[in-house]
Amino acid sequence: MRVLVVEDDAEAATAMVRGLSEAGHEVSHAIDGAYGLLEAQRGGYDVYVVDRMMPRLDGIGMVETLRKDGDQTPVLFLSALGEVEDRITGLKAGGDDYLVKPYAFGELIARVEALARRRETGGVQTVLKVGDLEMNLIARTVHRGTTEIDLQPREFQLLEFLMRHANQSVTRTMLLEKVWEYHFDPQTNVIDVHISRLRSKIDKGFDKAMLQTVRGAGYRLEA
Amino acid sequence: MKLPSLFRRTPFRLTLLFLALFAAAASAILAYVYFASASEAQARATKDVQSEFDALTAIYRTRGEDALNQALVERTIRGGPYLYLLTDGAGKVVTGNLSVLPFDPGTQTPGMGDWDTFRLTSTDAEGHVVNRRSIGVIMPLRTGGKLVVGEDIGDIEESLARLTQALWMAMGGVLLLGATGGLIISRNVERSMGRLNAVVAAVRDGDLKARAQVRGGEGSGGDELDELGRGLNGMLDRLEASMASIRHAGDAIAHDLRSPLTRMRAKMEVALIDAEAGRVSGVEALEVALSEADHLLKTFNTVLAIARLQAGGAPDPQVFDAADLAADMAELYEPAAEDKGLEFSAEIERGLMIEGNQPFLAQALANVIDNAIKYTPTGGAVMLRARRRSSGEIEYSVTDTGPGVPAEDRERVVQRFVRLDNSRSEAGSGLGLSLVSAVLEAHDGRVQLDEGPGVYGGFGPGLRVALVLQPAP
Repeated sequence: MRVLVVEDDAEAATAMVRGLSEAGHEVSHAIDGAYGLLEAQRGGYDVYVVDRMMPRLDGIGMVETLRKDGDQTPVLFLSALGEVEDRITGLKAGGDDYLVKPYAFGELIARVEALARRRETGGVQTVLKVGDLEMNLIARTVHRGTTEIDLQPREFQLLEFLMRHANQSVTRTMLLEKVWEYHFDPQTNVIDVHISRLRSKIDKGFDKAMLQTVRGAGYRLEA
Repeated sequence: MKLPSLFRRTPFRLTLLFLALFAAAASAILAYVYFASASEAQARATKDVQSEFDALTAIYRTRGEDALNQALVERTIRGGPYLYLLTDGAGKVVTGNLSVLPFDPGTQTPGMGDWDTFRLTSTDAEGHVVNRRSIGVIMPLRTGGKLVVGEDIGDIEESLARLTQALWMAMGGVLLLGATGGLIISRNVERSMGRLNAVVAAVRDGDLKARAQVRGGEGSGGDELDELGRGLNGMLDRLEASMASIRHAGDAIAHDLRSPLTRMRAKMEVALIDAEAGRVSGVEALEVALSEADHLLKTFNTVLAIARLQAGGAPDPQVFDAADLAADMAELYEPAAEDKGLEFSAEIERGLMIEGNQPFLAQALANVIDNAIKYTPTGGAVMLRARRRSSGEIEYSVTDTGPGVPAEDRERVVQRFVRLDNSRSEAGSGLGLSLVSAVLEAHDGRVQLDEGPGVYGGFGPGLRVALVLQPAP
């Protein structure tokens, strides 16, 4: 996918471009909000990664302008400001996700891919299918092959998120934010425990383990 | 510290001001007394002279000049307070105890009943020539002569002069006493102020241990300067304590960040050696280094969060149900507790509306639950409760059956970077409870640490951590 990185810190930008390219994405870089706006208006991008604080035109201003022009491309804000208000300001301005510096590459890439994917599967689906795993969102049932899998409500939500982002890395922080809808540091591996319970339900007794652990990033549901 | 010159010191200047006011008031009273008594005495003398004059005038009118002369001779011989003079048409003295007509014939032609004030020259007992103040009234006679009746009022003047002198001396005495008193008070106040100034100067020069000596000790004795001294001492105590806590936090940050930094450095060095020798790729060591760096960043972020909470309170407050948060936390942490072999239970009342920053309160509750799970040995129990106290306050409580915290340490563990010795081996920044405390303080709430359910079967006594919050209005 095509990613536009708008970041004034040259070193941070180089590292980001490198990391996203390594992950197989086509990356362009703009050195501030004004250039970012020009580049974005040329079109063709799947995700914008925008730094909050930049000279000339800052990230908020740039995204507000884009949204006013009708550009609905997903935006991931990056910021050294981690305060709750900053996150809310970013999301209100039209950002879709918010990542606080410093971040792990795994986190950045997972979030960029999740944003791009969300766009692809924008339509209303009633059934999700990943490999032989099938989820019916109306009946709230899950089958793997012919076997029905009984899930707790939270496990169902967790699996739904993983299926919507199948073949893509999702981080523990993303799961806490998107499935539990909390923004805090749980200190210990609480998410891992939930994942391992889900894993024992969907993978136990089957030949192929679908729910993979990705080192340094998080998890991936593979078909 | 150099004191300002005497005239620039407040107590002395106040004394001078009061003395000046006193002198002005005394002068005004003096002037009033003087004029009042002078005019009263003169009025009395005038009245006496007038009646004598009237009597003599009557004699003259009814019996003629000779009778008048006769009366004057008698009166002069008999003596008395009055002065008499009778002149003939040529101005020559006929009778009387005055030798000269007091009225100046050159400048005025006195008419019937005219009054005059004049100086009567005489000699006193010691032979000094004195001019005594006198008054007189005149009547021109048909023959061209003049009758003058008067009185020497020099006594009035003398007594007034004595009175004035006495008052001036009294005032001088008062001023002298006042100035001396003012100097003494000023000296005393200066001594007290000097002590306070010395403390301020010492603190300015960096000695935070300097304290002012006060009378009355810690109580409320002494004067207002002692009160000021106590206030100053209290302020310095507070300042010293917060400086100490900052210094302690600084030391603690340095300590807590140095260990992971040292570990990271060592691991990277070993990895470098191994990689140079071709034994490993270095990837693994870099991963460890990364995780150490993440741990450091987490510590920094927590320190920052605590500082911001303490400085600015809770950001972005919203009204939400504390019960929902408790239920979510129970659901999130229960598997982790069970994985460790702990019995996890939750007892949550519904409808506990509070106002606050949900992410920070979630973090606070998470830290407490995480601590409980971390410090409770396998086979123990952790219980989360959310309820409304009878006081109306909303309370989260987490009770565990771990080793607990000794009563004397409970206050200390919520301070920054304090970890009890037996927990040093556990992972963690030592900031968990400090952040909890900062979050609760920012919400006008509080953290209470108590003993858990007690000792039984090798467990306990346990710890009960309560987060008490105000209900939403």
